[in-house]
Order: sequence, then structure tokens, then C-alpha cells
Amino acid sequence: MSGTLGQGSAGDRHQGRIDIARRAAHPSVMRDFHKRTGTEDELIRVVDALPGLVWTALPDGHVDFLNQRWCEYTGLSVDESYGQGWQTAIHCEDLPELLGRWRSILASGEPREMEARLRRFDGEYRWFLFRTNPLVDLSGQIVKWCGVNTDIEDRKRAKEAVNGVDRLFRSVVDGLPALVTLRKPAGDLEFANRHVLEYVGATIEELKQLPTTGTVHPDDLPNLLALWKGSVETGHPYEIEVRRRRADGVYRWFHMRGSPLRDTDGHIVIWYLLGTDVDDRNRAENLLAGEKRLLEMVAGGDSMSGILEALCQLVESTVTGCYCSVLLLGPDGTRLERGAAPSLPPNFIASIIGRPVKVDSGPCAMTAYLNEQVIATDLTAETRWAASDWCSMALAHGLQACWSTPISSTTGKVLGTFAIYFAQPRTPMPQHQILIDQFTHVASITIERAQTDAALKRSEAFLAEAQRLSSTGSFSWNTVTDKITWSEEVYHIYGLDPTVPITMERFGSRLHPDDVAHVSEHINRARGDGRDFEVDYRTQMDDHSVKYLHAVVHAGRDQDGQLEYFGAVQDVTERRLSEQALSKLRSDLAHIARVTSLGALTASIAHEVNQPLSGIITNASTCLRMLAADPPNIDGARETARRTIRDGNRASDVITRLRALFSKKDASTESVDLNEATREVIALSLSELQRNQVILRPELGDDLPPVTGDRVQLQQVILNLLLNASDAMGSVNDRPRQLIIKTERDEGDRVRLTVQDAGVGLEPQGVDKLFEAFYTTKSDGMGIGLSISRSIIESHHGRLWAAPNDGPGATFSFSIPRGSPSDMTGVHNLDPLQTPAVKDAQRIVRNP
Amino acid sequence: MVMRSLISVVDDDESVRESLPDLLREFGFSAEAFSSAEEFLASDCVGQTKCLILDISMPGMSGPDLQRELTVRRKRIPIVFITAHVDAAVRPRLLAQGAVECLFKPFSETALLNALNAALRVS
Repeated sequence: MSGTLGQGSAGDRHQGRIDIARRAAHPSVMRDFHKRTGTEDELIRVVDALPGLVWTALPDGHVDFLNQRWCEYTGLSVDESYGQGWQTAIHCEDLPELLGRWRSILASGEPREMEARLRRFDGEYRWFLFRTNPLVDLSGQIVKWCGVNTDIEDRKRAKEAVNGVDRLFRSVVDGLPALVTLRKPAGDLEFANRHVLEYVGATIEELKQLPTTGTVHPDDLPNLLALWKGSVETGHPYEIEVRRRRADGVYRWFHMRGSPLRDTDGHIVIWYLLGTDVDDRNRAENLLAGEKRLLEMVAGGDSMSGILEALCQLVESTVTGCYCSVLLLGPDGTRLERGAAPSLPPNFIASIIGRPVKVDSGPCAMTAYLNEQVIATDLTAETRWAASDWCSMALAHGLQACWSTPISSTTGKVLGTFAIYFAQPRTPMPQHQILIDQFTHVASITIERAQTDAALKRSEAFLAEAQRLSSTGSFSWNTVTDKITWSEEVYHIYGLDPTVPITMERFGSRLHPDDVAHVSEHINRARGDGRDFEVDYRTQMDDHSVKYLHAVVHAGRDQDGQLEYFGAVQDVTERRLSEQALSKLRSDLAHIARVTSLGALTASIAHEVNQPLSGIITNASTCLRMLAADPPNIDGARETARRTIRDGNRASDVITRLRALFSKKDASTESVDLNEATREVIALSLSELQRNQVILRPELGDDLPPVTGDRVQLQQVILNLLLNASDAMGSVNDRPRQLIIKTERDEGDRVRLTVQDAGVGLEPQGVDKLFEAFYTTKSDGMGIGLSISRSIIESHHGRLWAAPNDGPGATFSFSIPRGSPSDMTGVHNLDPLQTPAVKDAQRIVRNP
Repeated sequence: MVMRSLISVVDDDESVRESLPDLLREFGFSAEAFSSAEEFLASDCVGQTKCLILDISMPGMSGPDLQRELTVRRKRIPIVFITAHVDAAVRPRLLAQGAVECLFKPFSETALLNALNAALRVS
């Protein structure tokens, strides 16, 4: 391309060269040229070869010469460029200024420079520097102007680029959402970005007039100054958070960072200061920290009112100019109660407390009633609570806005209200709503926790009271660590100090010496088998008194899977003692019962004794008479004396039997022939039965095996059954008063005795009560006979029962195992706790 | 030989039946013992008996029952009741019903003799 153009312009170049040579033949100029080159051609070649666009003009500005490079660059021929023709190559925008400048140069006659864009042969404009220099003759007259045009496009571009970066930098700094200032090493303000000016609300000039730290919060100033001073001295960067005053007077937190800029010698040229607004972040952090603090208070068990108060204060410190209150819904849900309101006038809160929870009672009552947020942005225009005159009351306390929000439990139940008040009309913003949501939640946690705690404390108190009342303590025991925990009542039972932790040794030291072995056995077994168990044992107190304890123990696993026992231990001393007392009482009652029978048998006994006595006296009289006869009837006297002795023995037997049956003596265990025992009882009661016109039919079984037991006690039962049967027939006149007493073998190697009467029979409703103590159908009975009889039979591992007959009357039976002395529960050495006699005695006590 | 008066004893108690007739014989009476009222009634001694010593309570027919039976049979035999049951109320009732005496066991020889004398006077 260049080749083509070059060829096309070859003729022009030649023409120009000739013209220059010709027209340059000015005497003075030509003389200098001649001096140096010697030839005109050589001169022309030099000019053409110069690396610039070279031209000459006449003193009036008329261009009269252009070198070959000009023609090649612009693509204009020499002829086209002569005179004013060159102007077509100048950018039209630059031409007027260039021409004006050219004229002023011509007029000044001084060497000067101009700039303009020059069109290249391909149409592209590039900046050129036009340097002009006047050529003067010897007389000082300007004869010509010489000019050189140099391409400065690249330099210009570079400079423009530099200017652009500068502008960009500035606009970036201005646009930074941070406060950017530059200060001289001495502290004078050099630069402040737009953000600084807008924040402070001043121009840069105004700002320069302000003291260095004029917008910093007075409380933060000392720290900042100290830091700044230090940094200026050491040249170290610094960082600090300070509050800076905004144009509207509000202080906001800024994170300030200062860094020095140094020159190549290391001297500080300027300080760059960057301030970042951290107010929102700080606020959020403070809120978060505050919330955390509140939750810590909740977890730490602080008082509810203290926490709610702190909550109000936190919100008040977060939202400028607000006052907060928390009101609680009373237990019955109909009244508002005091929660916390640290900054509101006490009179104002006092007039809200106790208001009924209704829609028209006020914003908080309405909130609690509806379980909805209630916003009153301007109380002067509010009408909702006109009925209760709430607004005027609030206005009188200087409050003009109220936002009340329900505090709800996790189940949605209203616990109370959280209200924010303002002295001016105010509408909540989204950030307020977030704040309210956050703190009603914290309040809800606080109140629920307090209520749960209260319920728990109540429940614990109930439990402790129940433990105290029932003398029952609870405990746990980890078999791996041997760690034992006792409830307070256990310590109380053992008479140990609750502040000293319980150990196995301490527990063992309290055991009654006689119980150490079997308790140890239980404990050792429990370590292995992990089964529930119960144990009775005694503990010995410091004063050597003994407590009877009963423990019920349940096996479980702790969170680590270790075998652990939980249990309850009850002080059963009182019960045990009363059982022992009852046992004695029962024994006394049994005696009373026997004595009562004795009373019933008095006539019968008198008869039994009087019969042989009668025989004795009669025989003795006869004997005396026989001896007094002449001759004495010795044989007859001997016979009567023999009868006297026999009758005396008979009377003695009666007395012996009576003594055995009615004396108060401990039970004994022996082999008893039930038939023989029955016969003796019959002998004692026979006359009583006869007196009642009872026809007794004994059916005593042959080959009846002996039983093991207490002979007298069994006879007591038989006597009781016989007398009852006799009594039951006392009013029977329409049929024989037949009484059958029968002994026989019973199944299961037992012996059974049956007494069947033809009496009035059993009352259907009375059967169950028959064996209860003091139940009686007789006008003169105590009602303890059957109850004691049953307990005696049960102590012989037997059974006593009653059944109605098919015909008239009833049948009472007992059945006892033959047993052996070792099987026999020795009545005299029975544990009073275990014997039926005790149950019997307990029944007696329960059914007075 | 003087015919001795027959005294009959009715009592279910064997020792009385053994001892009392011997004493009565020592007194000089003739004596017979019966273990029950039924046995006495069935015997041939009813008509010859000058005095009846009768136990009050016996299985089956009691003493008073026998007394009534004898009245029904128009056998007027003086009766001396004896009893081992000490019941003071019994005596006046029996005396009112015609008994000569009521002795509570054990009774003395003298008491028995007085009663018998009274009975024999009656007869």
C-alpha cells in the first residue's frame, strides 16, 4: 500500500525538490548552505531525509516549501500544499485555533510552538507539534519561517491516559462508601472525599477550618488523639473505633484506619485516613451480645424481673428515644401484672397494672386479649381506647406512640406483652419489627423459663414434702463408680449431714450390725445381676436407737450405659413398732376371747366340777357310815374311798383342762391328736350343749393322723365353733337342735374338722364379714372369736371357712396340714410382721 | 323284816348312780338307780318308789319332763330334784310345781336326809 502511494507521489516529490532548490536561492540562506554542503542537491536530500515534516513559509505565512516526508505523510502534493493548501490536512476542529496561533506567531516574530491534529494520507488524524523558527537576514529582517512538525500522538495519548486515571481515581474515591481523608504529616486536611463532606455537611473549605477532630464524639476523642500522636511519632499505621457526628447531629460508630505514604527517601508525605461506618454492625453486635447476655441470665437462673428489666434497657439503648415495658398476664388471664418498665413513669405503669384484659382497656390489654400486635403511631389521633380514657392518661405522661406486641409461649398461649413507647408520634420500621420479634422471643423464653422453674420448684417442694410426710427418701447408686445420691429425706432418715457427700462406707457405718451381712449380700448381687430388688434392714443411730427401713430398688442404665439403681427407702419403724404393739394386742384379745368363752361356759364348768364333787361327798358320807357300823363294813368303805379318789381325779382333770384352755400362755408346738383334743372340748362343753338342748353327734374319724401345732389354740378354735353352733340353734324349736362334729382326713395330707349345725344359717351379706373382728350377730358377743380362730388356723398354715347347708344351718370347717414340727410356723417365735395374727389385729384396728 | 322304802335315783351321771344308792342303803332305804327318765318309766319300780331323787338336766327327757309325765300318769311320787347347775332361780319354780326339795350338787348327807324325811312324810 505504501509502495503504491509512494510511486504515485514520486513526481510531486521531484517537483517540490526543484521548487525548494529554486525558491530557497535566497542570498543569505544560500550562502550558509553552500558553506556546509557545497551543493544544492545534497541540501535537498538532507531536508527530505530529516525525520520530521519540514516546511518553510514566507514572512506573511505563505508556505513556500514542504519536504518529501510532508508529502508522503499527508498524501498531498507540493502544489496542493503551497500557500494555504496545507490547511486541508489540519483537523477542522483544530484549524481555527491553529491559524490564530500562527498569526500571533507571525506577528511576534518569535520562535513558538503550536499543536494540531494532522491528517495522514490514510485519513487518520494524529497530533503534531508545530515548531516554528524565523530565519532572519543580516539586517535582522525575517526573511522566512522554518517549521518542523513532530508526531506527538503517542505522548499526547499517554498524557490523556494519565489524566483519565486521575479522574477515575478521584471519582472512585468520591464514590467509596467510606470516609476518605488525606492529611499532611502535621495533621492539616489535604483532601476529603465526597462522602466525608456529605456526612459532615460541610464543604472542603469549611472542613479545613474545623479543628482536626471536630466531628469526633468527645468521649472518644482522648483515645483518638493519643493514638494519632503516637502514630505521627512512630510512623506506624493505626486503627480505632470512634463515633463521628453526622450532619444531623447523630453520632455513628466508625472504624478509622490511618496509614502513612512515604517518598523514596522514606519521609512521610501524607496520611491516608479511611473511616468505615460500623454503626449498624456495632449495633447488631451489641444487640447480639445483649441478647446473649439476657439468655445467659435466663440460663443462670437470674430473677425474671431482673432479666426483663435488662431486656427493656437493652432495647432502649438500641432504639433512640424509646421506653419499654413488659407486662405479664395474670394466672387467670384476666388482668395484666407488673413485669418490667425501668424507664417509664411508675405512675403510668401503675395505672396500667390490673386493667382487665379487654379490647378497650388500652393497647397492651388489647394485645393480650387479641394475641396480636397493636400499633398506635399517634396517640393524639387514637380513638380505640376512648372508653377507658387510656390515651389521655398516656399523653399526660408525655407518651405519644405505643407499639405493643404479644409475648407468646411455645404453644401460642399469651404470656404477656412487650411495649415500646415514644414521646413523639412514630411508625415502626422494618428494623424495629425485627428488633421487636427478637426481644419478644427472648421475653417469652424468660417468662416460660421462670414459670417452668416455679412449677418445678413447686413440684420439688411437693416431692420433698411428700418424702418427708411418708418418711420415704429416694436415692441412686451407680454400681461402676459407686457414686450415691440421696434425697434430703434419706439423709434425714439416716440422721446424716446432707452437706457431706454420701459414700458406701458412710452408708455401711449406719447399718445395724446384725443386718450388715444380708445387706452386703444384696449389694454384691445387685452389682452383677441388674435386677430389681427389695430389702428390709435396720439402721443404728448415734443414740443407738434403731430404725427399721424398707428399700425398693429398681435397676436401670445411666447415659453411659453403666448399671445404675434407683430406689426409695422408707422408714417403717413406726409401722414395725405398731405392728409389734398390734401383735401383743392381738394376743391380749385372744385371751379376752378365751375368757369370754369361759364366761359362757361358767355353768357348764360348774356342772362338770359339781358332778364329781357331789360323788366325792356322797362317797365320803357312805364311807364314814360303813366304817361306823358295827361291825364296820371295811370292804364297802374301801370301795367308796376308791370312788372318792376317782371322782377327785375327775374334778382335778376338769380343772387342769380349764386351766390349760383359759390360762394366758405362749403358744407351743407339739404333736396333737385332733380327735383327743376334740373329745376334751366336748367334755368341757357338753353340759352347756345339753342345757341348750343340743344333740351332739360326734363323728370322729378312725386312723386320723396327728397334726403339728398348738393343742390349746386348736381346742380354742373347736370350742369356739361348738359354742357358735349351739348359739345358732338357740332359737330353733321346730327341728332337732342337732350338731355334728366330724374329723376326717382331707386331701393333700391334711386333716379336716367340720362343725355342722341346724341353726339360723348365714346371712348372705354377712358371709364375707363373718371372720372380721367385732362382726357379730349376737346381742352379747364381742365378735372376735371367729376372727381369732381364723388367724390361729392360718398360723397353722390351714384354712377356716363357712358354708351354708343344703338344709337349715351352716357348716364351719378348718383344714390343716399334718405338717411336721419344722414346718410348723412356731406361733411363739413368728415374726410379728408375717403372721396372720397381725393382719387380724390390723383388721381389728381398722374395723373398730 | 321290815320292808324298806324304795328310793329311786334317776341321773345320767354314773358317779351319782354309783355313790348315791350306797348312801341311801346306809340310811336304811332300799335304792335303785336309773340312767335316764325313760329307763325309770320303763322299769317296774315306778309304783313302789316312795321317793324319787331326780336330776334336772339329762339328755332326752329332763327331770321336770319326768315330773310332768308322772303327774299325767297320776303317779304321785314325792320328788327331790338334784342338779349340778347352780341356778338359784330353779329351786322356787320346782318347789312351786310340787317338788319336795331341790338340792344343788354337791349336797351334804344332812341335807339329803332332811329332804328324804320330808318326802316320806308327804308320802
